[in-house]
Amino acid sequence: MSQSEPKPGRGSPVVRVEHVNLDYHKEKEPLPVLVDISMEAGRDELVAITGPSGCGKSTLLRIIAGLVRPSAGAVKVLDSEVKGPREDVAMVFQNFVLLPWRTALENVVFGLSSKKDLTGEQKRERAMQALDVAGLTGFENVYPGELSGGMKQRVGVARALATEPKVMLMDEPFSSLDDLTAERLRKETHSLLISPETSIQSVILVSHNVEEIIELADKVVILSGRPARVSGVLTVDLPRPRNKKSEEFFRWVDKVYSYLS
Amino acid sequence: MQFGLVALDIVSSWVRMVLALGLSILFALAIGILAARNRRAEAVILPLLDIFQSIPILGFFPVVILGIYGAIPNFVGANIAVIVLIFTSMSWNIAFGVYEAVKAIPQDYLDLLDVSKSSSWERIKNLYIPASMSRIAYNTQISWAVGLFFLVASEIIVVGTSTGSLQIPIPYGIGIGATYFPANNDYADYALLIGGIVVAVIVWRYLFLRAFALWSEKYKMMEEPRETHWDPITRFYSWVNHRAISKLFLLTHDVGVSRFSSTIARFRRGLKYAVLIFLVLFGLLLFSSIASSGDLTLSHLPSAAQLVGAEANVLVNLGASFVRVWYVYGICAAIGLPLGIAISLSFKLYDTASPVLEVFSSIPAPILLPAIVLIPVIGHAPEAVAAIVMMLAIIWYIIFNVMAGVRTLPADLKSLPNVYHVGRWAAWRNVYIPGALTGFVTGSITAIGGAWNALIIAEYFTAGTTTTQVGVGIGKLIVIDTATGQNLSLALAILTMTALIVVFNLTVWRRVYHRVTKRYTYNR
Repeated sequence: MSQSEPKPGRGSPVVRVEHVNLDYHKEKEPLPVLVDISMEAGRDELVAITGPSGCGKSTLLRIIAGLVRPSAGAVKVLDSEVKGPREDVAMVFQNFVLLPWRTALENVVFGLSSKKDLTGEQKRERAMQALDVAGLTGFENVYPGELSGGMKQRVGVARALATEPKVMLMDEPFSSLDDLTAERLRKETHSLLISPETSIQSVILVSHNVEEIIELADKVVILSGRPARVSGVLTVDLPRPRNKKSEEFFRWVDKVYSYLS
Repeated sequence: MQFGLVALDIVSSWVRMVLALGLSILFALAIGILAARNRRAEAVILPLLDIFQSIPILGFFPVVILGIYGAIPNFVGANIAVIVLIFTSMSWNIAFGVYEAVKAIPQDYLDLLDVSKSSSWERIKNLYIPASMSRIAYNTQISWAVGLFFLVASEIIVVGTSTGSLQIPIPYGIGIGATYFPANNDYADYALLIGGIVVAVIVWRYLFLRAFALWSEKYKMMEEPRETHWDPITRFYSWVNHRAISKLFLLTHDVGVSRFSSTIARFRRGLKYAVLIFLVLFGLLLFSSIASSGDLTLSHLPSAAQLVGAEANVLVNLGASFVRVWYVYGICAAIGLPLGIAISLSFKLYDTASPVLEVFSSIPAPILLPAIVLIPVIGHAPEAVAAIVMMLAIIWYIIFNVMAGVRTLPADLKSLPNVYHVGRWAAWRNVYIPGALTGFVTGSITAIGGAWNALIIAEYFTAGTTTTQVGVGIGKLIVIDTATGQNLSLALAILTMTALIVVFNLTVWRRVYHRVTKRYTYNR
């Protein structure tokens, strides 16, 4: 056997959160929000972060995105430290955050603004492809105001996909959608993101919906209440597609709940 | 230094302001409650308020001054005239507030009073007035700033029109001081007066306006969000002003279509009657006030040729002022939009700039006229002096509304350019400027309205022996016509200006506002 470079296999770390702390400074008294958070997201993994509401899940995601600087500790993406927003990390927001004054296509193109090596035409092409993948063929020239919530979130996903990120961050992406729409979008998510056709190596999902987590996640990171600490990391080894009615599924749901309460 | 005199000026003006505010609140309660509880009254009152709020009331000063002072030609009459002028600037906004507050009372409360068989007075005392309190308090803040401008302007106008036989006795006031001190080359006391006004404005703001607003919080209905964070500028402008403007342009779809759609229909039907009533009332007022003096009386009606000649002259002057309003607005927009966005995007800048802007904006612009005239070169160019005064009067509306607009954009939207590594220009073009646009248009409408008011004082101004005046302009025409008794020209000037502004508002502005709010409102 030759000692050639091992191909990074499933599970080798893509995102590493190392001893991250975050304090808010309110009237000089530091208020700890996140305490010694460490976690990993491996290759081809979808990792869910959950915890009681207001515990700082979304803040942790923003630290990984480079939008918020931690008070201590570091985040590494593919072994380079996160010092600000990065081109190889994309984000999908709870409230979509589309520009209402731009069409679906223009919104996706806007996400490609930083790609200086692409011509305008190439950006449009790539945006069209992303919209196709996200299931929005034919809706390119529609304004977000005329789209349903689910469609809006598809635009949000397309915008993130078009940048060809290595890491996809999703902040409660389904929680402002109605149940049926969320269900449908969830079903597509795992296969859409964790597939050889996309550039994405890891997905980190923040959610408070335990069933959603067990449906989607390969790994669950559970945070405790304020200040947030990691209270448990579970590897969900249920086979896919996952049957939400199965007894095993419920057992996993209960397990996560037991950490949360 | 004449500390006593300066203090007397400030106190006199403040007494007028307080009386005008009291009068405005009483009027607002009466009109607002009536409109909210009586459908027929609503159909007439709403459009009337709408018109009064959007026309340059200051242009009506001759009617008020000649009418009231003509009837009571002494110190009391002069003061009433000034108070009425301030009242006309303050009351509409507060009346809208009362109307909306009473209209928004949940049905349960009304049912409760029905069940307990409360009398009308008990309803007013126990429900309508308390329910209106917080809106009155908040709208008072904007009304106070507008009123202060009117106070100074009308005091200066009273002095300015006191020529020859017409000597209106009104010895003290900040507007009086602002003309008296510079006229006597007493710039030390003039500076003292301005300093005193700034201090008075700030103290008043915190001791009275803010206290009033905080006190009124306890009257808020449980459903309404309570103010936990005091952020004067954005609060002041985004909330009060946006509501007022939405109302003004029938833009009620964001308030909740169901409750207001029938109001809109009634509003439209009522509008034409309202305009008619308004014009008839106005014509009667004008005639009664000037019938006793000048060149226009019922027994001596003007010939067609005179009419056409006078109107042609009015149109020339109006055209010049129209251009003036728009280029001054253009400069303010070019400065205000980027400045407002830049300030709001940085927390640090916002925290330091807000109080400074607040102080600057609280100084009524006309008070600075004598100082502007002193600036080398510019002071000798009447057009520049007029432009500066108008800018100082209106730029705040744009800056603060833009700031309010950007501040209310969600944090995620503001961080979007970061997440996607968008360059600065692309971020401004795609996110910040469009995001600020609704606030910008709201501010622009208010600013243009303010510019028409400011014209009246900016185009023709006498400081001591020197008169600074532009070549042609409707403000100048109105001031000179008043002083010289050219009542035909005066009546035509006021009518034509009002008609132009009302038509412009109902056609151009309303369309712009609808289009912009439809596309550029960020709704989560």
